[in-house]
Amino acid sequence: MTVHDKDENIEFKWGRMKGKGGRNKEVQFYESFTYDGVEYRLFDSVYVYKEGEEEPYIGKLIKIWESPNKPKQVKILWFFRPCEILNFLPTNETRDNELFLASGKGRGLTNVNPLEALVGKCNVICISKDCRNPQPPDEEVQKAEYVFYRVFDVEHCKVSDKLDDQIADFDVKLFLNKLDSLKPVDLKELYIDEKEVTGKGMERNEVVVPPSQNNIQSMTREENGKFVEKLVSRSTEYKSSLGEKPTSNVGLGEACKSNIGFSCRVDDKSMPMVTNGNEDCNASLAKQKSSNEKQLASGDGLKRQLATGYDRSKKISGDKTDLRSKIDEGGKRVAIGGSTRQERVKGNENFTHDTNGLVEDKHDRKTKLDDSKRNLNANRGEGVKRRRFVHDDDDDDDIVETLGLDVNSSKDKKKLRWEKDSSNIEGTHSKRLKLPNEPTKLSHDKLHKESSTKSPNGEKKIDSCEFEVTRRLDTDTNKGLRFKGFTWEEHLKSAHEQGRLVLLQNLDPSLTSQEVKDLVLHAFQEDCMAKIIPATAFSSPLSGQAFVIFRRREAAEEAIRKLKKGCLLMSNGRPLVGSVGSPCFPQKRRKFCGHIVIDQLRMMQREMKDAVSTSHCSKSNNVEYDMALDWCLLQERTAYAWGKLFQRQGDELKKVEAKLKAK
Amino acid sequence: MGSTSEKENYAAFEKKVERTVYLDNLAPYVTESVLRTAFDQFATVKDVRLIPNYLEPRNVPQCALVELDSPKKAKEIISMIVQYPFMISGMPRPVRAFPAKAEMFDDRPKNPHRKVTCRWLEPGDPDFEAAEEMKQLTCKHADEAVYLLQLQLQEEEKLAMHQEDTLKGHYKKYKMIDGIMDGAAQRLARHYGLRENNDSKPYFD
Repeated sequence: MTVHDKDENIEFKWGRMKGKGGRNKEVQFYESFTYDGVEYRLFDSVYVYKEGEEEPYIGKLIKIWESPNKPKQVKILWFFRPCEILNFLPTNETRDNELFLASGKGRGLTNVNPLEALVGKCNVICISKDCRNPQPPDEEVQKAEYVFYRVFDVEHCKVSDKLDDQIADFDVKLFLNKLDSLKPVDLKELYIDEKEVTGKGMERNEVVVPPSQNNIQSMTREENGKFVEKLVSRSTEYKSSLGEKPTSNVGLGEACKSNIGFSCRVDDKSMPMVTNGNEDCNASLAKQKSSNEKQLASGDGLKRQLATGYDRSKKISGDKTDLRSKIDEGGKRVAIGGSTRQERVKGNENFTHDTNGLVEDKHDRKTKLDDSKRNLNANRGEGVKRRRFVHDDDDDDDIVETLGLDVNSSKDKKKLRWEKDSSNIEGTHSKRLKLPNEPTKLSHDKLHKESSTKSPNGEKKIDSCEFEVTRRLDTDTNKGLRFKGFTWEEHLKSAHEQGRLVLLQNLDPSLTSQEVKDLVLHAFQEDCMAKIIPATAFSSPLSGQAFVIFRRREAAEEAIRKLKKGCLLMSNGRPLVGSVGSPCFPQKRRKFCGHIVIDQLRMMQREMKDAVSTSHCSKSNNVEYDMALDWCLLQERTAYAWGKLFQRQGDELKKVEAKLKAK
Repeated sequence: MGSTSEKENYAAFEKKVERTVYLDNLAPYVTESVLRTAFDQFATVKDVRLIPNYLEPRNVPQCALVELDSPKKAKEIISMIVQYPFMISGMPRPVRAFPAKAEMFDDRPKNPHRKVTCRWLEPGDPDFEAAEEMKQLTCKHADEAVYLLQLQLQEEEKLAMHQEDTLKGHYKKYKMIDGIMDGAAQRLARHYGLRENNDSKPYFD
């Protein structure tokens, strides 16, 4: 929330121009732009917010333009969530985070939206086995917020795993994973960042790390000078080294997991600092090492230390490479891993120092890469830092912040790619150097935390982080429970089939749907859709009921288990009861007794059709009236029975409630 | 909590509840438009909604909420339906009407005057046992309600069967009488020189 408050003046900057169009060549097309601290490029996956919709839409940018006197606009090729095309899914076997790319022609394929509708980048990875699609490494897939391998033909409403050659008049390859991302090490990382806008700071860290192994500056230069090949070879080397020391890396990665978000942020902030330090480091790495502790405070020293550590032992570099691989998973992990490696190498050096150094190294690398980025990010970085601080207190906030950071990093990476050809890299480096040292400090703290919180399940942590992120997005943008175009009944159906539906009983009948949702959020820390079951004359005035749809089956099961084992006492002094929801859906032909149609009477009834199809009050000179009175009698009797039942139940409850208060 | 807009919102909702009529015993084929025309005879219908029932796997009749233009009209309609059996889309089973309650609206706004809190009880908590007991009671009550509903449906079915049988019997009887009047009775009357087609004095004068 704080983050949003600070972003009231939303920053915007056009990126690379693409060409002009329109009748008078007055429409300017762009390849990229920066909005609210996030760099967007063509074919990025993005979240699009629509007012009134809880879930942001996800799509790919396929056109960006501005025409005079008109708002900036983007054309978006949509992804569909499985719940949006539920009726057309051949089976229910969809991954939790699967999306479907729109294809074909017609409504629903693309839309033109104001650029301001974008709320962030989204990390969507294509896992299609199609030969045109560069296969993403497993870590990427795990890290991805969403994956897709199937397309949804909006024209024929068909799901298919065959990718057409063209989608929305673009070569389908543009929508697949980028080739470069598959390359190892830095380049790969960079590309990944681009793709994975939502991605974590991890990616950035990875990028940074490789340069730290070598001289950061040289690395950056190489990158800038289009020495991609060299980088690749280095990365491959790193990989090999990684293979040697995977176990150590794992440990590091684990430690990092907890603090991934933070470390990423730190990196961003400290990046500029790092770059400065890197230059120095190049001049005298050994010196830097000796003064690492001092430098750690400033952040530059840390970087140097890291670099030196790497130089000293190949093993260390191997670790780094391992770290890089891990970095793909999460920047934090990488940083941690690096720190741990350094520690190992140096033996007695302070962990914190090492960690700092690692972070710095990463930062340096990043900074080098992101020359253009830095300029843009100087301001952003500060904002990011603030955000990071906020994160410490609030997980959700952290997530958001990390996202922002990731975005920045991804932007930076993109810029770097673009700017590889440009000779201004060094100048940008200097700018980076000018950046304040505060970020490094932050990173230190974070690193400490990370190291202290080492855990074996780094990946798991990452996953949870991702969940939070998506949830955060949802909660930020969603005020209600509705999804676009889907009725509550359809949601119920799919949730029931997927085991995500929970029936809550014993609610205060006066609770509203929103309150139930809040209650669940509060009690289980799970986001959900909730809807109370409206009362009728037959429903108990004592116990309100509600259907709750969780995002995941595990969450639903966990909630039921918790409610069974523990007691969630609510403000009306009643414990919540949860069970698996098994809704029934009205069939087409429902039986209803009491409306009599005699076969032989059908003829006569034709005359009475008007009376039947509409409504009428019965008059007392009529057989119908007698029969209706029978019904009224029955209704009275049942109403009485219900009243009695609820009265007795109320008495029983009161007795138990008295016990509660007595204690 | 309790911002003015929330309060206004809630006050508006309460007014809406007051002018809404709850109906049940509706046939499954009753639609919103049927209800609209049914009540347009008496008042201006502002909104009609059927209360969806995803909970009961049985053939529970539909329930609906009909919002009218004023609370007075709502009261009038309810008293009319209580007084005269009112049938919609079929007979002889009449619909039933009550004043609507806020709980019947699944999209009702939150009451700004109230805060909801909850807390987890650990097994060691002194209230834990009572809470456990209450949970069981809740389940028991739910089962009881299900059973009663089942009974009610059985009763309804029985009544419907009974009425159908009676009606069929009546129908048969009248048809037989009709048949006699159409053919045999007239022939006999002619044969005996009696007056025909005297409805008020059918057979003999």
